Amino acid sequence: MEYLYGIIIIIGLYVILATSFNLIIGYGGLVSIAHPVFFALGAYTSAVLSRDFGAPVLLAMLAGTLVALLASIALALPSLRVSGDYLLIASIGFQLGILEVIKNVRFTGGPGGFTNIPPFLIREFGRESYVVLVLAVMVAVILLVWWISRSDYGRAMSAMRDDELAFSSIGRDAMWMKIAIFGLGSGIAGLAGSLYAHYFRFIAPEQFEILQSSVILTMVVVGGLRTTWGPVVGALLLQALPQAISFLHLPPSVLGPIQGILFTGLVLVFMFFRPQGLVPAKEVWRAVQRPTGKAGENR
Amino acid sequence: MAGVLEVRDLSKSFDGIVVASHIDLTLKSGSIVGLIGPNGAGKTSLFNLISGVVKFDSGTVLLDGSPLDRLKFHQRVRGGLSRTWQHTRLFPSLPVIDNLLIATHDYPGERLVNVLFGRRRLKAHDSVARDKAVGILGKMGLANVADDLVSDLPYGQQKLVGVARALMGDAKCLLLDEPMAGVEGQAYAAMQRVVREVAESGVAVCVVEHNIAFIRDLCDEGVFMFSGAIMARGSVAELIRDPQLTELYFGH
Ligand SMILES: Nc1ncnc2c1ncn2[C@@H]1O[C@H](COP(=O)(O)OP(=O)(O)O)[C@@H](O)[C@H]1O
Ligand SMILES: [Mg+2]
Repeated sequence: MEYLYGIIIIIGLYVILATSFNLIIGYGGLVSIAHPVFFALGAYTSAVLSRDFGAPVLLAMLAGTLVALLASIALALPSLRVSGDYLLIASIGFQLGILEVIKNVRFTGGPGGFTNIPPFLIREFGRESYVVLVLAVMVAVILLVWWISRSDYGRAMSAMRDDELAFSSIGRDAMWMKIAIFGLGSGIAGLAGSLYAHYFRFIAPEQFEILQSSVILTMVVVGGLRTTWGPVVGALLLQALPQAISFLHLPPSVLGPIQGILFTGLVLVFMFFRPQGLVPAKEVWRAVQRPTGKAGENR
Repeated sequence: MAGVLEVRDLSKSFDGIVVASHIDLTLKSGSIVGLIGPNGAGKTSLFNLISGVVKFDSGTVLLDGSPLDRLKFHQRVRGGLSRTWQHTRLFPSLPVIDNLLIATHDYPGERLVNVLFGRRRLKAHDSVARDKAVGILGKMGLANVADDLVSDLPYGQQKLVGVARALMGDAKCLLLDEPMAGVEGQAYAAMQRVVREVAESGVAVCVVEHNIAFIRDLCDEGVFMFSGAIMARGSVAELIRDPQLTELYFGH
């Protein structure tokens, strides 16, 4: 059972990561590869604060989320001031740089990883309670992104992606919207990191490598960019796949490359044969509720 | 009376190509200025410089007496400057009505906090904006296409939507870049009526247009631009009668 719980939690966390990344890249149109490092910032902040500073786990998790959020804003603010393309470059530097710092400072446990992270809920209420927590957060994140995408904010994001200059010409501020989208999406990744840390109770830098970025991107692209269910389907599929391969009992030296090839292959196949992903996005933005009357009825 | 918009000694060149040379232009509340000149004269560039799409090299632009130089494009628009595009630049993924709803002066939906915690503000804004949008669309004869995608409309109607969108934002100064290009005859009267009404409400309007009849019927004053410089000012009727300008306009 413990094994199954572990898988469910991992899948839940990847759904959260993919959904939040979909907000950034799909809805926000922002290209970043730093999602794993915000995941790491959440995990490490929460782990260090709770183990070494005696912070209550719930507070530590909140702090983990907040640190990821603030760090992402600190990254986005200067780069988006210049132009959207700088975010990608800055995010590469950030991903590599922060991970390098984590590997080289003492309080993170360095390359060997950070152990003995205090557990949460499990002692008092059993592992099931943590599964419920992760799934509840997952559902909340899916609903949140869905709600935002269909709200007035979603209308604005659509317009901003369509034509940024025209977006400015009606008095809208694309830069702050992008910063908010990036901050929220990265904060959610931080939350996922905190949740990861207090269940598995061990974190190490290699869990947050740049490769994770392509895994998350693959989930979003294969599932369906800019859709509610796409990242969910993508995360499920791409997590089920390695699990299935692991049943073949291949040695790790073969397993890694095979997964890499499989993921790259999938992206290529989808790019050529189904660029819209498994769940295709609608081309037209629609609000959650249309006002009554002829609006929306005749289409 | 000082103008709503004052352009003073504005200059700009791209790698030696002069697109604006010591431009002085005053747009007054309630009046409509027609900006004419051949293709490549620098009319669109002037709008780009005024609105902040392109930075100028020297000079000043004042809106209601305060300089715009340090403001970004969207801030200038928020400050009361509105413009349309020669090539529409609508939002293709949004229905016509949503192209307008998003273009109000204040759009609370552009802040995440409001989406999460300010439902009442959003609702209040939506109903006001919707009434306004429906009113503007009605005046332009677009009421029946409110729910269509802009890309499904003929080009002429897209141009009208572009103007309609620019009218959503309570502008003090409105710059229209070739609003009639590609617009069929039947919209002529509607466009004339709408622009005139806007001016009567106190907005300072400047129209770039090749449709000379349109601009002659509409404008109080004409400005002739050529090669980045203002060559002449006067009534549009005078300008088009001037043989020298006519030659510049049509080429030899
Ligand atoms: N971004 C730019 N870079 C270089 N040249 C430009 C740029 N924008 C406009 N121009 C040049 O400025 C001149 C004026 O163009 P424009 O303002 O579009 O004229 P008009 O609107 O009167 O037809 C043209 O020669 C054009 O090539
Ligand atoms: Mg032009």
